[in-house]
This record gives sequence, structure tokens and C-alpha cells, in this order.
Amino acid sequence: MLRIITRYLRLYKAFLFQSLKEDMTYRSNFLTLVVMDIGLVSISVILFKVIYGHVNTIAGWTFHQSIILIGTVGIVREMAYLTFRRGFLELGNHIRTGTFDIFMVRPIASNLHLAMRHLSLSESLGEGITGIVLVVYGILHLNNWSWISFPLYILLLFNSLMVYYGFSLIINSIVFWVVRSQELNTIIYFFMETSRYPADIYRGIGKVIFTFIIPIGIIATVPASALTGRLGWDFAILSLIIGISFLGIGLFVWKMSIEHYSSASG
Amino acid sequence: MKKYITLFHINWQNSLQYRFSLFVYIGGYSLYIGVLLYLWSAIYSEGQSVGNYTLSQLTTYYILQLMINSIIFSYVSWDVIDNIKTGNFSNFLTKPLDYYMYWFTINISGKMLESIFIIITAGIISFFVSDYISFPEHLSTKLYFLAAVILGIILAFELDFCIGMITFWLTQVRTFKYMLQTMILFFAGAMLPLDLFPPVLTKAAEFLPFRYLVYFPISIYLGKIENPLPSFGILIVWILIFFILSRVLMSRGIKRYEAVGA
Repeated sequence: MLRIITRYLRLYKAFLFQSLKEDMTYRSNFLTLVVMDIGLVSISVILFKVIYGHVNTIAGWTFHQSIILIGTVGIVREMAYLTFRRGFLELGNHIRTGTFDIFMVRPIASNLHLAMRHLSLSESLGEGITGIVLVVYGILHLNNWSWISFPLYILLLFNSLMVYYGFSLIINSIVFWVVRSQELNTIIYFFMETSRYPADIYRGIGKVIFTFIIPIGIIATVPASALTGRLGWDFAILSLIIGISFLGIGLFVWKMSIEHYSSASG
Repeated sequence: MKKYITLFHINWQNSLQYRFSLFVYIGGYSLYIGVLLYLWSAIYSEGQSVGNYTLSQLTTYYILQLMINSIIFSYVSWDVIDNIKTGNFSNFLTKPLDYYMYWFTINISGKMLESIFIIITAGIISFFVSDYISFPEHLSTKLYFLAAVILGIILAFELDFCIGMITFWLTQVRTFKYMLQTMILFFAGAMLPLDLFPPVLTKAAEFLPFRYLVYFPISIYLGKIENPLPSFGILIVWILIFFILSRVLMSRGIKRYEAVGA
């Protein structure tokens, strides 16, 4: 087990350096992407600011607590781009043109190879940086912040990444059954966009759907709740169970769907 | 005219192939609107309110926005950019088709199916929140709304076409386009009604053409504008301005065109 992990870490490092080289070839593009990300995040901050110009709290969340939510989404997105996100954006192309064959014949798990082949530092670097800045800014305005919540926050960030990965695996597996569908990633885009809002806004059936089925409510709200001191142990553990389940289901669905793959090349 | 009708027909049949993509897109966007509806009802259930909107006005605003995003907004510039970048544009130079009219036809016929789906989707969502939907009382309001939507389709296409034309000058146009598109959505009132913005931004939005894409038709629908006729006048002026701009950019662009990759 340990040997497998070190092997993948070594591969990850090699792939990361390779993609860094690619990114650096188009330096001006790199800069535009960073500027654009900062612009897009600013717009969500402005939107929240406008709403908070009319109300004091949203489902109990103050403006500065909501800033932590926006920042957390940015950090999770950055983590995703450093691991798996862009692989899924390219998946449709690979399947249509038949280049997905490569991922089937290499001695690495296909989902991990797909992920590592398309690591991207540039695509959400701006969002990652602003994410950290926003979280720190939000924390500085909290009254009841303690260092103890910090390790829990980090742990829950990884949990959110797991949920995000599992959800992406499930949604993107559809591509093996319905070949033309780059649009599947629109669902994932909206999934992340809407995770900015505190999950406490959901009531009744919405609460069930957005926690267990489309787990928007886990991504940002759970880690940010840990920082803002509103997360109970029971819900923290439930979130971890949801994270592991999503990853498990995602891997299972992926494995099933890959068997349905028929090469388009040759 | 006949050739454009044929084109319309062919593209309509093409778009039928992408039914699945459409479902996916509409699913994703409905998710987004659904979450916003939860957001507003959470705010109002705490006894707070947003500007001079009632909860049912806000709900109606976002459901109409869901429809407008499909019916009014044009997204053909992605294809225009591809077309110019790959050099396929050269084919058009030899055909008796007007490039502007070509994409206008593609835009309208590509939207037909999407519009039908989105109206059904909006109907389903409205059913669940039927207590919070308001309908206009007067027939004139409905007619004004319809007119605003039709003019909005034209203006949205012109803006989108102009963005596509930038490809002649800038090769890395995609990022730029994405930024412009977000700005347009912001100042159109697609994310939040414009009169909720701080005064500076509301004022800025008044001088921009984008408000006519989302905020204007919905405000008519909600009965927030007593006499929309002067605004219609300004809208038509904007349509003319961007029509001329589209033609100028196109003819200048063709002179610059280098037929990359062809």
C-alpha cells in the first residue's frame, strides 16, 4: 500500500513539473487567467456585499462569515485544479477522438492518469490566492475564532475535495454512455458556483437533496462552519461519511462506465 | 431570403441532435436558480427584505431570468471565434451568404429547441413555487414584455457578434470574451436586479445597453416601469448603434483576415 502511494506521489511530481513547463510557455495567457479569476471572485464578493447592504444575516451568516464561504470555494477549486479538475474537462475530447485508449493501457489507474495528465496551475491560481486572502480577511473579523478549529478546517477541505471528486466522477461517467456531452461540466460548474451560499438556507426536502444527493451544502459550508464555530461533532462526522461515500460511489460508477467504453479511434 | 430559411431548417435539425446537452445545461442552470430561490426565501422568512421587492417579485424575477438566459442571450460567438481562428472563415468569402445574417439565423434556429425546453422547465419550477409567482394584470404589460424580449434577442445577438469579431484582432480571445460576458451578465441584471445595487452602480448600469437584456423586460413584467415607451426608444437606438458597429467591425476585420490554418 505504502509503495503504491509513494509511486503515485513520484508520478504526480513528474506530471506537475511537466504541466508547469507547459503553463510557462504561454506566460501572458497565464497572467490573463489569473487576472480573470480575481475579477470573477470580486464579482461574487460584490454580489454578497450588495445583498448584505439590505440584510444583516443570511440564514444566520454575517457578511464576514460569508466571505469565508467564498474563499473556501476558491481554495477547494484550486485544490481540484491541482489534482483532477482539468482532466474531466478534456475527457470528452479524449473519448470522441479515441485518445482515451492511452489511459486504458498504461499501468496506472485510468482515473488517476487522466487527472495527472492535465494538472493545471494557471487555470484557477487567481481563485486560489484570492480564496486564501478572503478566508484570512474573514477570520480577522471573527470574534470567536480559535486555533483549534484550524486543523479541522484543513481536514474538511480535503473532505470537500473528496465530495467534489466523487460527484465529478459520477457526472462525467455519463460521457461513456452518451458520447457527445462536454456540457456535463456545466452541471459541475453550477454545483461549485452554488456551493457559495450557506447550506443553512435549505429547508425541508431541499436540505436532504443538497446534503446527500447533490452535496452542494457540504463543499464550503461545512469547512467554513468549523472556522466560524457552528459545526457540531455529529455533523462533522456525518460530512466525513458523506465524503467517503461519494468517493466510493464515484469510483464504482467510473469503473462500471469504463467497461462501456468503445474506442473511437482505429 | 430563401437560403436563410433553408439554413434555419438545417440548423434546427442539427440542434435536435444535441437534445441531451440541452437537458444537461438546463438542469445545471435550474439548479442555480433553485438555490437562489432558497436563498431569498431564507432571507424573507427571517423577516428581512431586499430593497422594494416582495418575495414573490424576486421569485418571479429569477424564474424569468432563467428563461431569458436561454431565449435572449446569444452564445454563437464561441463558434464565430472557432470559425475565424481555424481559418474556416475563408469558405464564407466565396459563398453568397452574408456572414452577419448567417450567424443571426444560426442563433435563432439554435435557440428554438432550447427555448421550448426552458419554458417547460420554468413551468415545472413555477408549479412548485406557485404561491410566489406573480402575473401581470394588463394585456398591454404582456405585449410590452413580449416586444422587449424580441428586441432583446436582437441586441444580445449584436453584442455577441461584435465580441466574436474581436477574433480578427486578438487571437487569444476566449479569456477576454469570458470576462466581457461576465460583465454583461452583471450589468444586465442577470445576477441581481439592478435597482438593488449601490447608487453608483445603478447609475452606471443606466447608461449601459446591457440592462435591456434582462432587467428591462423583467421590470416591465413586474409592472415596475409605468411608461416603457421612452426606454423602448433608447433600446432601438442601441440596436442601431450595435448594428452599425457589427458591420464596421466585420468589414474591417475581413481586410485584416490572414486565413490562419487554411
